[in-house]
Amino acid sequence: MSAVNADARNRLLLRVALLAVGIALVAAPYVVSSFQIGVLSRIAVFALFGLAFNIVFGAGGMPSLGHAAFFGLGGYIIGIGTVRLDAGIITVFVLALVLGAVLGAIVGVLTLRSHGVYVLLLTLAVAQALWGLAFQQVRWTRGDNGIAGIERSLIVPGDATLVTFYWAVLAVVAIFGALVWWFQRSPAGVAIVAHRESASRLAALGYRVSAYRIGAFTVSGAVAAIAGVLYASLNRFVGPENLAWTMSAEVMLFAIVGGAAFFAGPIVGAAAIVTLEVWVSGFTDRWLAVLGLTYILTMLFMPQGILGLVDDRRRAWRARRDGREAAATSANASDALTGSGGMS
Amino acid sequence: MGSILGHILNGLSFGSVLFLLASGLTLTFGLMRTVNLAHGAFFALGGYIALDVLRRTDRYWFSLLVAILAATLVGVLFERLALHRVLGKELPQILITVGFAFLIADLLLAYYGGRPQSPPRPPGLDGVLRLENFAFPHFRLALIVVAVVVWLGLHLLITRTKIGAMVRASVDDEPIARSVGVKVPAIFATVFGAGTALAAFAGVWGGAFTGLQPGSEWQILLLALVVVVVGGLGSVGGALIAALAVGLLDEFGKWLFPSFALFTLYAPVAVLLAIRPQGFFGKEELT
Repeated sequence: MSAVNADARNRLLLRVALLAVGIALVAAPYVVSSFQIGVLSRIAVFALFGLAFNIVFGAGGMPSLGHAAFFGLGGYIIGIGTVRLDAGIITVFVLALVLGAVLGAIVGVLTLRSHGVYVLLLTLAVAQALWGLAFQQVRWTRGDNGIAGIERSLIVPGDATLVTFYWAVLAVVAIFGALVWWFQRSPAGVAIVAHRESASRLAALGYRVSAYRIGAFTVSGAVAAIAGVLYASLNRFVGPENLAWTMSAEVMLFAIVGGAAFFAGPIVGAAAIVTLEVWVSGFTDRWLAVLGLTYILTMLFMPQGILGLVDDRRRAWRARRDGREAAATSANASDALTGSGGMS
Repeated sequence: MGSILGHILNGLSFGSVLFLLASGLTLTFGLMRTVNLAHGAFFALGGYIALDVLRRTDRYWFSLLVAILAATLVGVLFERLALHRVLGKELPQILITVGFAFLIADLLLAYYGGRPQSPPRPPGLDGVLRLENFAFPHFRLALIVVAVVVWLGLHLLITRTKIGAMVRASVDDEPIARSVGVKVPAIFATVFGAGTALAAFAGVWGGAFTGLQPGSEWQILLLALVVVVVGGLGSVGGALIAALAVGLLDEFGKWLFPSFALFTLYAPVAVLLAIRPQGFFGKEELT
């Protein structure tokens, strides 16, 4: 059998599998309990947040520890917008996209001269500044108490039950997830990856590197704000914890656990971590300790993530099938980001 | 007039606590290029252990010593068992320290509960300094003195002793340091342990000032991070100046414009990092 044929068959298999997962997700409410529908909704929201984050992190190679800023911003837009100002859902979505993009562009501009750990500290400082506002501008945000009473019915056309809300979340996540997919395959998205690999070579080719860095943060910020809107309406609540840096650390964990080098990495990571949380919380209160161990063990033993492991297995299997020539090229391909410590 | 002096001294003593944390943080960053986000956990660990031992034995200085030694032991073990395996990889190091901090914080919560508590002030420092209509606790003055002493000690240790020279060599050029016989891994563990000991000490003395409760270690860690960044990553002298400045800024911010105090603390740091990533006293990065 020729390699081309096998590739075409693999692609077909992948599409069939994707379709099956999609149908399963849509049909899930007919099969699983309402508690599990809530869990699935959370996974979907976190998956979108992770996809947005990974534009900057996995594709762009910039370790942001401030993405909670965008996520929380979206939450406060729907919170303040609908509970206090009586805005409609379209206004909320447009505002989230615009303000998320503006904040993303500002962060992008700020990080232009930074690399590696300095990007991390800078994004952290920006997010903490916003967290401080959310915490202390009590007149707008109600401070530590947060804003409760966000209506789920805003997002759902017609009757807002848990199931219709889940479908609405799924639809929004699918639309924006597809947009991120399309963006990452566009020339701009490819240039962002090229920036991770070598900013100086990209510049030598005549690209304006800074524009792509800012662009990555802008798109990422806008989509992350949408995820934040969904998260706040899922919880019917937004508070300073939506903006806390632990949220930024968690989204980074989603990307790494799933495999930051892969598009689907954050989706797999979000599903894995949320499932683990639900399972662990079933028999102990010590979820945070388990989460801490998850951070440590992932970084020590699985820095390339779940999809990285799967990819390694697949390559190894294929190499054994195809003989030695393929084996030479398969090594070291998937540890681009976390494995070799490469932070730009 | 007295109230302003009081605020200044309060700010300086809180800055001193921040310096005790930040000095360890900046040493480990300078040496291992990692932002040790578990540093706040050692602060909490020191404070809680001291409280625990004190309740059992009622001997203050003994419990202080036990707390520092125990936290240092945990720190060195953590460095050898986990952190050292990802040496030179910034991102894995940061996430491992985050995870470790979650682990410690949750275990402390499980064991000691979520009620805010605080270690007592050291015996002999309970008094209050009185000048006409102005009063200030001896303990807070002592904190300022301790911070200056620790700075002086670290400064002399790093610039004047052989150990200090080996530390500086490992920071500046690790491969060459190794090749002339400096045991860099041992230096790493020692510096990490020293940083942990300082954090634990800050937890006992600073905890008497700020109180201990779940989550408080993150608040103070993030402030210490601000200090380290402003002072320049790796610079102990810069950390002292920045710590006192941040302590004052924090105190006066809370006093003068309480609804913007956190914003005015973090936003300038973001701008500083954007314009001058190495901070005010940090060395230019050679990359």
